[in-house]
Amino acid sequence: MGRYLLRRLNLFLATSFVLIAVLFITTSYFPTSKVVALTGITEPTAEQLQNIETTYQLNGNQLEQFFAYAKARLSGDLGVSITSQRPVIEELTQALPASFELAIVSGLIAVLLGVPLGVFASLSKNKVTQHSIMAITLTGYSIPVFWLGLTLSLWFGVKLGWLPVSGRLNQLYEVEPVTGFMLTDTILWESVYRFSAFKDALFHIILPSITLAVLPFTVVVRITRAAMLNIMEQPYIKAAEARGLHTSTIVLRHALPNALIPVLKNMGLMLGTFASYAMIVEVIFSWPGVGSWLVSGIYQRDYTVIQGGVLGVALTIIFLSILIEVIHNAYNPLSRKELYAAN
Amino acid sequence: MPRIRIYQEDHILSPTQKVWQAFSDNPFALMGLWAVCCMLTLAIFGPWIAPYSPEQQDPLALLLPPSWDASGTVEHFLGTDDLGRDIFSRLLHGAHLTFGMALGIVLASLVVGFIIGSISGMMKGLKSSILSHLLDALLSIPSLLLAILVVAVMGPGLDNVFWAVGIALTPQFVRAIHQAVHEELQKDYVTAAKLDGANSIQIFWYVIMPNVWETVIIQTTLAISAAILDIAALGFLNLGAQAPSPEWGAMVSQGLDNLLTAPWTVTIPGVAILCSVLAINLVGDGLRSALSPIRN
Repeated sequence: MGRYLLRRLNLFLATSFVLIAVLFITTSYFPTSKVVALTGITEPTAEQLQNIETTYQLNGNQLEQFFAYAKARLSGDLGVSITSQRPVIEELTQALPASFELAIVSGLIAVLLGVPLGVFASLSKNKVTQHSIMAITLTGYSIPVFWLGLTLSLWFGVKLGWLPVSGRLNQLYEVEPVTGFMLTDTILWESVYRFSAFKDALFHIILPSITLAVLPFTVVVRITRAAMLNIMEQPYIKAAEARGLHTSTIVLRHALPNALIPVLKNMGLMLGTFASYAMIVEVIFSWPGVGSWLVSGIYQRDYTVIQGGVLGVALTIIFLSILIEVIHNAYNPLSRKELYAAN
Repeated sequence: MPRIRIYQEDHILSPTQKVWQAFSDNPFALMGLWAVCCMLTLAIFGPWIAPYSPEQQDPLALLLPPSWDASGTVEHFLGTDDLGRDIFSRLLHGAHLTFGMALGIVLASLVVGFIIGSISGMMKGLKSSILSHLLDALLSIPSLLLAILVVAVMGPGLDNVFWAVGIALTPQFVRAIHQAVHEELQKDYVTAAKLDGANSIQIFWYVIMPNVWETVIIQTTLAISAAILDIAALGFLNLGAQAPSPEWGAMVSQGLDNLLTAPWTVTIPGVAILCSVLAINLVGDGLRSALSPIRN
């Protein structure tokens, strides 16, 4: 296991290296001066210019420049935003928790609803139920997320007026950020209105998280169903049936843990798509996360924000997908065997 | 009149016929196939069928609801948008932008992915693992981020969508083909062919490839639906097709200003995207279940 972890760590480092290289190369193609693209300072003083030249080795060759760039970026210096002139890293760390909150809530919705429905679909012998579940999941898989978000906000936000359609919290509540997660912050808020604030935050997150949850939900249902169908045919399930165990015990204790392995694996594969969808959902519901920040950055041609955002998001996703793979292998001895058997 | 069968023996179907039979037994898959055929026809002949040009503005028919609404007219079957442009015509003109372009992108990334994937799948050891792992990592970068980078360098536009979505899709093909080739390579029949003295190109093309095509086909259908959604999403975010373009995602974003007064300007292009992606997914699903008995 130690050797395997080391290899994954190497993979993470190598990928991050490639990512930074790609960003470095793109930076030199941005249609603006190199100093602005690297630091975001539009009108540098002579002193700043001197500083920038030494930090980024602008007089050195490409390789030296690349290492200087990597060093600066990895030490957390992402430059300042061209439009707001605030440090990019500050804006990024402010936006990240909101995105994580949205992603975690929709991930939870997807798994908590998707797994039971998938199990149910696999156990149901009724053709109509099976077909309708598959039809619903296929539709959910095919729906363009921006259109779904608009339609949901039009119906539940505007026509019915049940739920708010933008932002994380009503402006009435001035909750000071502790964790950055609005749902926990409102609980931790020391005020008599904390529960109404929590309710408000909860209402705000419902529509975006449901919109975002549709894709992972359908994938989870389909994978769980396929895995369950496969596993229920296995001899060890037959043996458990022959021992006279109750169906619920067989499903929950014997079959489900194994069925969750492919679900976990596919979640890792789906992360990229999920992140794309999350960015679109954030734009539609004005959710102040990384996605809407990054998209507004591209509208304003804020090159430092683009670099910083892409670097932050991509690193997070690469890290998470490797983490999921490691968990998958730790949880699933069969794939470990493959790992050692193959050269 | 049913033919009288004198002999017991059945006609043995070829694998392709078997797949087709399994596929056509599934009514939903067949429905999807018909829909995809219709979409293809529309993508090619749409501009000739369309009653109006996509940019033609009718100042007398602004924000006209679809014809089934009481105040709609048959001249503008699906209604008009805020500039009086006929939505039906725009949809038809946009079909080759959204649907046709998705096919083009998938074809391009399929070719690239096929070449890289089969080379890296046939190789062993460090070289193979470097290629596949790096592409694994690329796979985890969201397509939207790649698109943002491409747009930052080249500016928005439909041709840049080609690069953005293409770069995002290629690693998926590489990964799928690499894994399929690699898995087949471990099997005994390949060893048998090796012992017979086949060189690696023969092994690749005549021994392994016939068993990899299914993976390629399934991955292609998945990629087409992903490509349509990506193109439309980029159009919606104004990073892809620009304002007057009848690309479906861009049409949704153009209708956004009138969402409350004229929801059909958003709903109808959205439904068009949904239907086309659904049709492709139906075909993909049908193909997968038709191929699965052979694959397992």
